[in-house]
Parts: sequence; C-alpha cells; structure tokens
Amino acid sequence: MLDRVLLAIITRALPSADREWMSGDLEEEFLRVSGHHGRWTARRWLVGEFLRNLGRRASIPKVKFMNWIDLKLGVRMLVKYPGLTMVGGLAMAFAIWAGVVAFAMLAPMLYPSLPLTEGHRVVQLEVHDAEKNGDESRILYDYTVWQGSLRSVTDLGAWRNSGRNLVLPGVETKPVRAAEMSASGFQVGEGEPLMGRVLTDADADPAAPLVAVIGFGLWQSRFGSDPAVVGKSVQLGNEHAVVVGVMREGFEFPVSHDLWLPFRPIRTQPAPRSGPPISVFGRIAPGETLETAQAELATLGQRVAADHPATHQHLEPKVSPYAGLLGMGGDESVIMSAIYIFVLMLITLVCGNVGLLIFARAASREGDLIVRTALGASRGRIVWQLFAEALVLGVLAASVGLVAAHFTLKNWGVPFLEANIGRLPFWWDVSLSPLAVINALALAIFGAAVAGVIPAFKLTRGMSDKLKQSSAGSGGLQFGGVWTVIIIAQITATTMFPGALYWERYQLSRVADFDYGFAADQYLTAKIDRDASTSRETIGQRLEELRRRVAAEPGVSAVTFVESLPALYHPSVQLEFPDNANIPSPAYARLAAVEPGYFDVLQSPVIAGRTFTAADVQAGSRVAIVDQGFVDRVLKGRNPIGLQVRFAPDEDAKNAAPEPWVEIVGLAKDLGVQAAVQPTRVSGFYLPAPPDRLKELYLMAHVPSGDPASLSQRLVEITTAVDPTLQLSAVQRADQVNSDLVWIIGLWLQVTSVVSAVAVVLSLAGIYAVLSFTVSRRTREIGVRVALGGPRDRVILAILRKPLVRVVIGVFVGAGFVLAAGAALRTTSFPGSELPITVRHIAVLAGYMVFMVGVCSLACIVPARRALRVEPTVALRTE
Amino acid sequence: MDPVTLGEFEQIVLMSIVRLQAEAYGATIRRDIETRTARRLSISAVYTTLDRLEQKGLVRCWIGEPTAERGGRRRKHFALLPAGGRALKAAHRDYMAMATGLEQRLKAL
Repeated sequence: MLDRVLLAIITRALPSADREWMSGDLEEEFLRVSGHHGRWTARRWLVGEFLRNLGRRASIPKVKFMNWIDLKLGVRMLVKYPGLTMVGGLAMAFAIWAGVVAFAMLAPMLYPSLPLTEGHRVVQLEVHDAEKNGDESRILYDYTVWQGSLRSVTDLGAWRNSGRNLVLPGVETKPVRAAEMSASGFQVGEGEPLMGRVLTDADADPAAPLVAVIGFGLWQSRFGSDPAVVGKSVQLGNEHAVVVGVMREGFEFPVSHDLWLPFRPIRTQPAPRSGPPISVFGRIAPGETLETAQAELATLGQRVAADHPATHQHLEPKVSPYAGLLGMGGDESVIMSAIYIFVLMLITLVCGNVGLLIFARAASREGDLIVRTALGASRGRIVWQLFAEALVLGVLAASVGLVAAHFTLKNWGVPFLEANIGRLPFWWDVSLSPLAVINALALAIFGAAVAGVIPAFKLTRGMSDKLKQSSAGSGGLQFGGVWTVIIIAQITATTMFPGALYWERYQLSRVADFDYGFAADQYLTAKIDRDASTSRETIGQRLEELRRRVAAEPGVSAVTFVESLPALYHPSVQLEFPDNANIPSPAYARLAAVEPGYFDVLQSPVIAGRTFTAADVQAGSRVAIVDQGFVDRVLKGRNPIGLQVRFAPDEDAKNAAPEPWVEIVGLAKDLGVQAAVQPTRVSGFYLPAPPDRLKELYLMAHVPSGDPASLSQRLVEITTAVDPTLQLSAVQRADQVNSDLVWIIGLWLQVTSVVSAVAVVLSLAGIYAVLSFTVSRRTREIGVRVALGGPRDRVILAILRKPLVRVVIGVFVGAGFVLAAGAALRTTSFPGSELPITVRHIAVLAGYMVFMVGVCSLACIVPARRALRVEPTVALRTE
Repeated sequence: MDPVTLGEFEQIVLMSIVRLQAEAYGATIRRDIETRTARRLSISAVYTTLDRLEQKGLVRCWIGEPTAERGGRRRKHFALLPAGGRALKAAHRDYMAMATGLEQRLKAL
C-alpha cells in the first residue's frame, strides 16, 4: 500500500507527456531493486530518483506563469513584512507540524513494513478458529506438520514470550523481555552477532545445556558492556544459562525482545490443539507468493482437519505479512483518510487566516498590481505571483514545522506510543521518513494555494475596471463574504478551545486527584508475574513467604495481594437477585478479588456486617462484601447484609446450570474499584480469594511512615531471594499507578493550549489586518468626516462596527457550540459525561466571551488611532 | 563531415543502446550500465543523456506497444541513427588509438 502511494505521488510529479513511459521505467526498476535489496532500499532509491528528476530541467513541466523573480519577490516580502512572516509562518508551521506528526505516528500502524532486506518476504502463520471467530494459538501440532510439509515458506520457526528475571550479582534484579525462539529467527530477522554466536538447532535439544543470546541494549545496561560476557553463566528466573552471544544493535526480532533462549516446547510429539500458545514465522520461498503459500497452507489445513476432525474441523490456517502482526485492524485507507481530512481542515482554516493577512498586504500594493496590469501582465500572471509569495512562506513554514516535528517525535513520539501500547515492535519507526518530508511539502503547497490563490483571485477581480478608474486607494476593494466567514470561524474556534481545555483539565484533575478512599500515598505496590510452569501450591507458599519477609521490613505494617489495584481497571460483572428480593436484575458491578485481610491492610474496616475471614476462602464458602456505591446504585439504599446474589448467566449460556448464590456479609466504603478515567461512580463487589487463585497479582505493602518508594529496592531483593521466577514490575506508590495516564492527558493539555494560543494570535492578527485595511481604504471618508466636524467617537464606531459585529457573532457561535457539545456529551458514556452544565460554567463561559471581545478589541487600537490621526487636508489630497 | 564529439557517459549510453538493440529503453539502459560498470546510476541521468543525444541527432526514439508486465504502460525505445553510429565508431577508434600499448602501464598504476 505504501509503495502504491509513493509511486502514485511520484508519477503525478512527472511531466504528463512523458508520464506513461517514465513511470513504467521507474516501477520496473523499483521492483527490481526491491527484489534484490529489499523494500526500504527500493523506497529510498525511488525517492532519490524523484528528487533528482525534479532537478532535471528537461523533465520539469514548463511553468508558464511563475518564474524565479516571483520567488525572489516572495523572499523580499518576507523581510519587508516581518509581522506577517512571523504570525502567518508560525501558524502554517504549526498546521504542517500537526500533519507531519500525525502522519509519522500513524504510518507504522497503517502501513507497517519490516526494515529488513528481505522484509517483504517475512510472514506469520496463524490458525483461525471459524467457530469462535478468533485465533487459536495452541498450534504446536500444526507447526510440526508445517515444518515437515510446507514448501512455499522457508526458514519456518516458532517463538513464545518467556519473561524472566535476570539475576546478576550486584545489579538490581529486573524482568527481561526474553523470547524462546527457533534458531531460524536469527536468519529471518537478519541478525548478526556482535560477539559469540546466535542460537543453533542443536541448542533446542532438551538434553543440551541451556544457552542464551543477549541483545545489545541489555548487554550495555545490565552487563556494563562486558567484553568477556560470552561464556559466562547467568541466572534467568530459577534456571541458569550460558551466554553464547551478543547481538548487534537494533536486533529485536521477533517483536521487541532483548534476550533469546532456545525454543524447546517439543519434548514429545504434541497432541493436536494442545501445548503452550506459540507464534510461527517464516519466509516466502523464492519464486513463491503470498497467494501460493496460502493455497498450500489451506491444503495442509484441510488434510489435518480430515485426520483430526474433533480438534481441527473449524480451524483454518492462514499466512500474512509479518509486519501486520501488530498493525491496526479495519480499512486502513478509511482511517488515514479521516485523519488526513482533519489535517486538511486544520491547514485550510489556518491558511485561510494567513490568506486574510496576505490579502490585506496585497491590497496595500494594489497600485503596483494595477501598473503591472497596465504593462500587460495577465490575471493569471499576477495570481502566480501571489501564489509564489505564499509558497515561499509555506516552504519556510514547512522547514520550521519539520524541525519541530523531528524534535517532537524524537522526544515525545516513542514515549507517547509506549505509554499507550507498551514497548514498540522493532519495525515501528516514528522518525521523519522521506515520505513524511514529501507530505510536509505537499501540505506547504496546499497551504500556499489556500493562502495565496484565494486572495489573489479576489484581488484581481475586475482589475481592468480599476485600471480605467486609475484611482488606486479609492475604496473599490473590499473584504467579502469569504473573509467574513473565515474570521467568524476563527473566532468561533478560538472560543471553543477553552471548552476542550476545560474538559482535559477536568480529566487531568480527576485522575490526579482520584479519591482512593484510603491513604494511597502510604502504600507501595508492584505487579507480580508468575512462571506458568510453577504449581499453584508452590506459588501459594512462595507468596506467603514473600508476605512474611516484606512485612518484617522496618516501617512496613502489613502486606496484602489483590487482583487489581485501586484506580485501575476492574472487570464488569452481571448480577441477579432472588425474585422475592424486589431488586431489578440484572445489576452491573465491578468485581474485585481480594484477600481476607484486604480491608484491614487498607485500614478501612467494613462499615456494616463483617469482614472476610480465613474460612471464607475455603471451598464451599460463598460470601461477598459490597461497597457503598453498590448500596446506593444497585440497592437504592437498602441494607445489603444477608442479601443473596449470584452471577447472571451470559446471553449465550442461558441454558447452563445457574451459578450458586452468594451471601453479602459486609459493607465497605468506596475503595476505588473503578478506573480513574471512568466517568461515573460504580458499584463494587468483593469476593475473597487466596493469592494463588488471583488471575493477575499485585502486592500492596503498607508503609505508614516515610516514603514507601524507598522500600522498592528492598522489595525487589526480597522477591528475588524468595523466588527468582517471580517477576516484579511497576513498583510504585499506590497513588501513582495512573502516572502514565496523567502524563498523556497533560501532553494533550499542552497541545491544546498551543492550538488555543495559535488560534488567539491568528484571530488578533486577522482582526488587525481587517481594520488596518479598512482604515487605509477609508482614509478619504475619515478625512471628510473629521473635516466636517464629525465627532471622533462616531468616526471610530463607523470603523469598528463591522469587525466588532464579526467578533461578537463568532464568540456567540463558539459559545453555542461549547454548550451544545456539553449537552451532547451528557447523553454519552464518555469521560466527562457526568459533568453538569451549571450556572457557574455558564458564568465562566460568559466571562470568557467578554474577555475574547475585549482582547479582540485590543487589535483595533492601533488602526483606530491611525484613523484618528488622519489630517483632513492630507486625506482629501489622496483623491 | 566530422562526426560529433561524444562525452564519456554519452559513449556508454550509446554502447548500451547498440548492445540492447530492440530492448533499449530507459530502465534497461540504466540496468545494463549499472551491471557492467558497477556504477550507482540514476535513471534521470540516463534520461538527460538520451535527451541530449536525441537533440544532437544521434539517436531516435519511438513509443512502443502497451505491455502487460508494466500494467499496460508503453515503453520509450531508443535506437542509433547513422550519425550516432559514426560518432560512436570515431570515439571508439580514438579511445583504442590512445589506449593501445598502454596495457602494462595501466596495470601498473
């Protein structure tokens, strides 16, 4: 897709007379280079050809109107009108920056491709379950079948995540992103060792000693770039492995891994649809295509389904490009189009305003333009001249926008994406690509067309009549409907931005000031990942040991384990009550699985009834505790103690045996069973569970005095000592679990603030330009009025009336949009929907409207003063 | 009439046209030169030289039939004109005259 877009753009730039054969040549050579050196090399070649082609005079279409003098004049205009250059240039730069950043951030998702020489041949092989409409990842059996039979895909390999603690003496124990991977992964991922060797097939033999290959980053950060690391034994969880190699920088295949172990799940012949979840990769064999590979794979799938109908009747193997492994679903062109339309709207609005400024500037040169017309310049020639002036400004703005985009992507691009979706796969490159630069230039040309051509057509309309009048400056030229609409739209947007800012600020404060219901700043929390191969009993014993040793640390008063931390996501469950309870069913609540001592550790004893006891986690015990939100929302204030409740059956399991009844034995206060961004108060439903039964596992340690974070290092040491297979991550205070979210919302807040500031500056500049223009157009009229003794306030009112009416209309329309958006938001379940529109909000909005009118009036001061300084004798002489 | 003097790259392009015969068009000429000389070559440079040779009256060009492998797009073929042949022969003769007897010395450089 990316290649098609690139070729289409470049083809468009070719001279139309030669386009057919030149584009054929380019595509032919592109495919050849791509086949020999990979797609990325071919793309670089193609962009280079495009740029060189631009320099080839013979292939540039002859520009009939614009010439170098126009561009030179454009540069002179930039210098002569520094105010317009600054305001207009920065505004255009901002719009181009937004377009380039959006493009660079989305391109890896929408058009993923591997930065490998043979990247276009690398594929993933999956199995789709048509019955469940989902993927089946227990495909070890299928993998062995493919290994033995598949011809159209070579270098077949498999991998699975194997997160483990890397335990090194004198260095903090931390989990590493390890992959158990077939040796062919190093060929497919084109990995070369910096030292030692990569894994081999012999390493996958279960009888062979365990070996590991480490990534460049890990070698630097955890091994201190030790040149003698090869041959050393390292502890990974509760196993030891000998380091046999260090990879070169950049190798992270299969996704974003930094340590590799042999892929050894096959101890015996695997049974169909059994074993651990794995992923399979390979390379399309020379001479084969994705389609032929898919056909062969489908045939193999049918054969396996015939042999094992019980497990494989509904399974369909499929092969797809590897880079799509984590790509965005849906129709990519629709997503890209939607974003691009937004960018074009932004740049149109911004450049429309810049056009207003250029129009005012050009209007002051009307005399020059009339003389040029008299000397034989056509209308098209003058339009090209004004377009060239805007283009110079646009190219300057594109340069600034690109530098800013580069800086933004470098500093915030990757952190922003990683805060949203975790560590990025190795093929996600969010830096400025040649395509992004072309995109910026295209936006600059589009912006120049809006900012230069529209005012030029407006200005040159009826030029010959003006020539006949030979009365430049007599007031024939006026601002028309287009500019009125642009000014009103600009002020409307300027008025609306504070609404968006208020909403974002509200979200930020709500997440940052989330009411946990307990002293969250006194708790240290950590996520614990367990080794799947460890038995439940062993995990239980280790966690008890961990609890005992952490609780024995100085300053720690108690420790508990939970399935999800307060202020994080809790799953929603559907509950029902006995018919005679007269409570509407089903009711929805958020489920929290906690240990019996949870409420005591949080120092928040139950309000009514009793807390969980050790007996409640025994088999056969069915009790629950609900929170105050549950009582208020579900029970409408009724006493919950003693009520029976059970999980309601799913829609597709109506005929299944009903769940057993559970008795509500206690009532707790609201303790944050909702995600911090969730707009409405929720109902909390607590069930007791021992830590080894929790699906996800978090530790909470109460440190009543001092900073809980100071315990972090000790917690890691204790956990490693208790069980090296327990992987600790996100070690932080309980009130900081949403710090990533706070950072993201804060970033959006800053972006919106910049957008608002740009909008305000543009509005002021636009109004200033209109008034300056008006005063210069009406110099004679003002002079006559003053000469005839007209009161100065009337003169000012006559000048300011129209612009001020536009400002007031814009402010009211903007305020109307803000109120309508607020009302519409309340009908949804989006964050902020619980915000009522109060008298205070309306008062704040009204205050802002007055402020906006006041600020816009400031832009009128200079032109108004200029108008009043007009001497009647001078004014009358302008005729 | 003296044959037209050729630049070094013009000679190379003309030789490629002679070698490729009916298959001489932009992409194949570039590929041929790149393969034989191991030069990194832009297709634009080839077009520019072909334009110049055409203006000098040394080559002629024509648009071929639509080709399926290029998605129905046609090729612009090039062939030597008699003047081009004379110029190439003269250039080759001059080159050989200057190079003869220098083989050992060139090897030693």
